[in-house]
Amino acid sequence: MSNIIEIEGLSKRYGDLVALNDLNLTIDQGAVVGFIGPNGAGKTTTMRILTTLLQPSSGTARVAGYDVAQNPDAVRRAIGYMPDFFGVYDDMKVWEYLDFFAACYDIPPATRHGMIDDLLGLVDLGHKKEQYVEGLSRGMKQRLCLARTLTHDPQLLILDEPASGLDPRARIEMRELLRELQNMGKTIFFSSHILSEIADVCTSIAILEAGNLVAHGNIEQIRRQLRANRTIHVRLLGEREPLVNLLQTSPGVVHLQTDDLPADSLRFDFSGDDVALSELIQTAVSHHIPLVSFREEEHDLEDVFLQLTKGVVN
Amino acid sequence: MTNLPLKPTLWHTLRQNPVTLKELRSRMRGRRAFVVLTVYLLFMSLFLALIYLAYLTTSGPGGSGARDAGKIMFTAVLGMQIFLVIFIAPAFTASAISGEKERQTYDLLRTTLLSPSAFVLGKLLSALSYVVLLILASVPLQSISFLLGGLSPEELIISQILILVAAVTFALYGLYCSARMKTTLAAIIAAYGGALFVTFGTPLIAVLITLITGAAFITTGTVGWVTEATLTYLGLTLSATNLPATLVLSETILQQENTLLFYTQSIRGHSVWLFSPWPLFILLYALAAWLLYRACVRHVRRISD
Repeated sequence: MSNIIEIEGLSKRYGDLVALNDLNLTIDQGAVVGFIGPNGAGKTTTMRILTTLLQPSSGTARVAGYDVAQNPDAVRRAIGYMPDFFGVYDDMKVWEYLDFFAACYDIPPATRHGMIDDLLGLVDLGHKKEQYVEGLSRGMKQRLCLARTLTHDPQLLILDEPASGLDPRARIEMRELLRELQNMGKTIFFSSHILSEIADVCTSIAILEAGNLVAHGNIEQIRRQLRANRTIHVRLLGEREPLVNLLQTSPGVVHLQTDDLPADSLRFDFSGDDVALSELIQTAVSHHIPLVSFREEEHDLEDVFLQLTKGVVN
Repeated sequence: MTNLPLKPTLWHTLRQNPVTLKELRSRMRGRRAFVVLTVYLLFMSLFLALIYLAYLTTSGPGGSGARDAGKIMFTAVLGMQIFLVIFIAPAFTASAISGEKERQTYDLLRTTLLSPSAFVLGKLLSALSYVVLLILASVPLQSISFLLGGLSPEELIISQILILVAAVTFALYGLYCSARMKTTLAAIIAAYGGALFVTFGTPLIAVLITLITGAAFITTGTVGWVTEATLTYLGLTLSATNLPATLVLSETILQQENTLLFYTQSIRGHSVWLFSPWPLFILLYALAAWLLYRACVRHVRRISD
């Protein structure tokens, strides 16, 4: 799979302030990547460099094989950008808004009409085609702006906080839309503060703090990197002593805990892999230990984020 | 045989400019544009009607009084056009780019394939088209002067060319301010500051130079014809930077010397070739317009540091 974004040693300084510090990041074609970080971490700066709006202080960034500084027009053809804050024009109808931006991307007038209908259908705004843009709700404007990013059928969508300021329903709609775009084969690189949404939609994440990349990769891989041991919760019928005795002699059991837990429950950290864990369960069953539940503790993205970041802000 | 795609003509490119189409669609939508045009023409008509009535009550139809009335009516409409060009054209364009920044639509446009020159040209054409509409709408009123006999076709044509050239330059100056400044308020202040300086500052400088050199001549006694001729050329060149001065001086030279371009004048016994300032005005303003256009495009193209 080829890389659609290749960032090497990218830095951005504003006087003494280092907004981005030697960022190295690659994103595969077709991936949905969540860009996470506290406010001021450098997410928007990275996105503005990738969208040819900002000059980096040093380093290179390539989008779809084109250097953002050397070949901005080719990069613009390959990307659809939705900034975190954007305005709309007064006195403009929804279809006129899309028609205007399609014209800005050199789409011939003959093909625009059908394309606008398709895009409005995709973002569920077909019924608002003749309405003025200023009269749309915030969620509808966000969806319209997303439709705008698709007028020239770009390979890569760079979305800065696409769900910010939306109510729960609009956020769910936006998430569904991102899934739809993923199914259409688009690469999506988007930032968000809503970590649960990122975990739902993304194939991988990149975590930025104070201009430094602190983690990048599959969410599950990062979780594993963070935790050498997995935490297992067990509930039994009756006494837990037989299982405690078994676990104390079992390899891979690192830290057994019974304090502050009900009499029929216990928790332990396990350093083994899935095979070792399965063998442990089989051993317990063969010792006639009455297991009711045996489950691994899930660590959500919030835990990962809190573990990786220190709350440092530029 | 293969059909090679035809190279789009300049007119086609301008007609297809998305920024022009969008701006004109927004500007001409609703009643506002038509109300402004109607009120403007009503005001002009009323003003001219008052001048005509004043002429009727003083001298009756025909005779030299009619010529004077025609001249006054022409001057009145021209005065309104000068006001439009100097103060309305830059105001229209001063918000054109800074407004996009304030509305947070500038970045959306800059990530499209719209070239900086198409963007600047689109903004310029849409702002100019309305100003030109106001100017052209007043030409029929101005032409009433023909009926009264106070206006020659040359005067009308040259004055309208000067007004149009000035409109383009002042509009581009407003656009340049808009590209440079972050806010519309700052752009409008800069645009009006520049327009006021060119309109009132240069005559003031001319007066100051006249006073200083006059005082110097009194102190030194005699003045050579070369010095006086040089000062006359300087005065004509300076007046060619100012629209009202160019119009007044070109009209005076046309009336007194009966020429549109060159004439001779005796300075201390020497015959000196002098010129009407309007061609130089067109040259200077066209040059300024080109430089401002290039500067605008450069600013729009620039990627933020």
